[in-house]
Amino acid sequence: MTWKDSVRIAMAGMWANKLRALLTMLGVIIGVSAVIVLVAIGQGASASVTSRIETLGTNVLFVTPAGGTPFSQNQIAEIQRAVPFPVTAVGIMNTPAKVATLQTTSAAQVIGTDASYIDLGALTMAAGHFLTPTEADQGQHVAVVGANLVASLFNGNSPIGQPIMVMGQQFTVVGVLNPVGQGPGASQDNALFIPMTTAQYLLGTNQLSEIMIKTATPNQADLTDNLLTNWYTNRFGANAVTIASEDQVLQTLQATRATLTELLAGTAAIALIVGGIGIMNIMLVSVTERTREIGIRQALGATREDIVLQFLLEAMAISLTGGVLGIAMGTGLVSLAPLFLKTPVSFSWFAVALAFVFSSAVGLIFGLYPAIKASGLEPIHALRYDG
Amino acid sequence: MIRVESLTKDYLLGSETFRALHTVSFEIPNGMLAAIVGQSGSGKSTLLNILGGLDRPTVGQYWLNGTDVSQLNRDAWAHERNHTLGFVFQSFQLIPTLTAWDNVALPLVYRRIPLKERRLRARQALNDVGLEHRLGHKPAQLSGGQQQRVAIARALIGDPPLLLADEPTGNLDTQTGEEIIALLQNLNQRGHTVVIVTHSPDVAARCRQIIQLRDGRVVSNQISEKSASEVPS
Ligand SMILES: Nc1ncnc2c1ncn2[C@@H]1O[C@H](COP(=O)(O)OP(=O)(O)OP(=O)(O)O)[C@@H](O)[C@H]1O
Ligand SMILES: [Mg+2]
Repeated sequence: MTWKDSVRIAMAGMWANKLRALLTMLGVIIGVSAVIVLVAIGQGASASVTSRIETLGTNVLFVTPAGGTPFSQNQIAEIQRAVPFPVTAVGIMNTPAKVATLQTTSAAQVIGTDASYIDLGALTMAAGHFLTPTEADQGQHVAVVGANLVASLFNGNSPIGQPIMVMGQQFTVVGVLNPVGQGPGASQDNALFIPMTTAQYLLGTNQLSEIMIKTATPNQADLTDNLLTNWYTNRFGANAVTIASEDQVLQTLQATRATLTELLAGTAAIALIVGGIGIMNIMLVSVTERTREIGIRQALGATREDIVLQFLLEAMAISLTGGVLGIAMGTGLVSLAPLFLKTPVSFSWFAVALAFVFSSAVGLIFGLYPAIKASGLEPIHALRYDG
Repeated sequence: MIRVESLTKDYLLGSETFRALHTVSFEIPNGMLAAIVGQSGSGKSTLLNILGGLDRPTVGQYWLNGTDVSQLNRDAWAHERNHTLGFVFQSFQLIPTLTAWDNVALPLVYRRIPLKERRLRARQALNDVGLEHRLGHKPAQLSGGQQQRVAIARALIGDPPLLLADEPTGNLDTQTGEEIIALLQNLNQRGHTVVIVTHSPDVAARCRQIIQLRDGRVVSNQISEKSASEVPS
């Protein structure tokens, strides 16, 4: 029998029992789409953290207060005094708010900070300038806007010198940021930076949301982490603040990635086994049902190889069709993910290739036994079988 | 064409063996129209299945076209059946999911003949048995006589020198059976060696060689001199 005919017969065999084949594929479909979605989530998460680390470097600490811990701008100077080497420390006040131009309104992250924020290295200017010390000290109503806001509020026109309404007050745009791209950094593309003093006035509080500290080296970051932990404990008691380093984020990421990989392997294994057993089961039924057909084919000249190939290819046709449907479903879910997932996802051809290999392997491995069983039938017994 | 020597077939039934064929020896020359007759249970089907390589003798030898096929392995037999033999069964043995057209073409699939040529030859074969208007019908959509004609077309499509028919008219009425036998007779006249297992004295009477079995033994083997078209093997 030629390969073409083997494939033709296998497809016809599957087609003859469409519904049954479809139900059998379900295990493979679910498994394969799960693999694709998990890979997309895993890669999306690591891409976002990676992009943040790329912009900030690893020698950055984030200090956030626990509820009730006094956390004001004054502490910045105290921190700098408590650490025996120079560090850049920047306070941040963070609030979501609606911002508006005469034409339109948009949701934005309003960030109160001071001039040294730009020294963290996370941002670059596309036009104009970042908040200056003077503007910050005087509490001027000036703003630096992220790339997305330029697009949504100003139709992409240069907003420098234009007025913008923030929390009922008018500001003047003095600078525009370059886009940062995806990841948590993307919040900066939707951010509007205003002087810290102005933010304190608008929000009516001195309490900061976060202090970011950048040291010269990763070692100094570790040291600073220890020093500040002690310093805050002495002053406000244990766990008054949380100090996270990019290093820790990186470690968490790697741990998450390992977990995801295990989950992935687990899902793939379950898909393999559940889907495979289903296929094996249905192929055994099929071989029994078609015992006479096998006998007839043998009587007309089918060799053992012909029969093995017929049933093996049918099993593979079922699992590969399941694989393709699973890829379609997984890809669909990945493209819908932004609607109900906060974390970013990234589609990968690697996952598709993986899914393809999985599903053909399933058909091959679990189809082999029924196929060999079929080919081992004695023609005389097969022809006499009445089922 | 066919020569068997001391064929014996034992069936194992639990701890006992049942001897379905008992040192059967005979020859069927090339071009013969032969009948195998005998009472029910006398071993006719057992013998024909061994002649077709579907079953194996317990002991004995079998020469087909001068070659010893007693020791052929399964795949060699598959090749032999595909090229040398055509089968017609009492129960037709058509594949229910395939159309008449595809059923007839099946032997050519295992000869690696391309689809287009298979289709062409299958249509011709169905035409030869008067079923050119039933190409797309599944077996269940055909009458018994039509199904048997499809089976004959299938047996013929590869143009095998030897046709084996096990009670080809057993499931058909007299009139339809008559047509099937006429078809087989016609094929014999065109040069095919035809072996028919039958219960019917009428059918047997139309064959030049009659092998009679009783309890697994050949009790008579006669060749009449009705025709001169036969060629010795
Ligand atoms: N697979 C088997 N196992 C055991 N005994 C068998 C088997 N096949 C056939 N027999 C026995 O061998 C003997 C011959 O059977 P066979 O089918 O050859 O008879 P037959 O002449 O074709 O009869 P019929 O005219 O009824 O078709 C019978 O007694 C039958 O019971
Ligand atoms: Mg019989």
